Amino acid sequence: MSKEAFLSALEAELKGLSKAEKTELLQDYRDHFLFGNEEGKTDEEIIASLGSPQVIAKEINANYHIGIVEDKANAGNVFRATWAVIGLGFFNLVIVLAPFIALVALVFSGWITSIAFIGSPLLFAIDAAVFSGFRAFEFFASLLLCGIGLFIFAFMKWVTKVVLQGFIRYLSFNVSLVKGGLKNE
Amino acid sequence: MNVQFKKGVLELCVLVLLDKQDRYGYELVQKISDQIQISEGSVYPLLRRLTKEEYFTTYLQESTEGPPRKYYQLTAKGKSYLQELLEEWNQFSAGVNNLIKEGVHRE
Repeated sequence: MSKEAFLSALEAELKGLSKAEKTELLQDYRDHFLFGNEEGKTDEEIIASLGSPQVIAKEINANYHIGIVEDKANAGNVFRATWAVIGLGFFNLVIVLAPFIALVALVFSGWITSIAFIGSPLLFAIDAAVFSGFRAFEFFASLLLCGIGLFIFAFMKWVTKVVLQGFIRYLSFNVSLVKGGLKNE
Repeated sequence: MNVQFKKGVLELCVLVLLDKQDRYGYELVQKISDQIQISEGSVYPLLRRLTKEEYFTTYLQESTEGPPRKYYQLTAKGKSYLQELLEEWNQFSAGVNNLIKEGVHRE
């Protein structure tokens, strides 16, 4: 592999990064080649001791996406960070992906329940208009459900926030675990 | 040696090297790889991360030969983090050494 091939392989793997971030990192590696050449090392020797661009990129991507999630959590970010962490090792497939799916399913079902409850007066209206006419019990039952739905809605907003934050912490913990850091974060 | 373990130690090495004086990236990489076998490529992402976490600041300095050098300087936050890591490392290595001693004596 030539120096240019190394740099472009690395750049290709760093697709998700912001432009500034990418430029800065690639400059670090470009400089590394220049300094190495000055010491009389060939590009091949330098590449051999740098390690594979794929492995380097995996590490950079995981660091970067977790950084973004910590700044501002939203569903897309968390999803990308999860994938980046999974990319760090197969070991993580079970340890990260399973809780992630379970949590998403739980939160998702909570939201569905609340939306269904809130929408129940609408269903009552359709039922009353099209099929069985106005019935007092169903009318009040649907209003009650709607009220409960609103409470669940507010509760789910809070749950979602807490779950997201907890999961981000879990992701960071995982990265330091996979990297075998000595610190217990 | 285990790859994951080495990565954790790498962080400590970088911080220790910067405690005495400011150094540029390539210099740090060479200093470390003189002593330990590492994938040199993994040092730069580490430097970037520790800079983001405000353990270092960086500045550029022209040199007579080669490209301008990006120097890393330890911040106050970095210094206290280094102390933390050093303490953990000392406890850890002392523990392992004790275990090794006990193990060797029994044989």
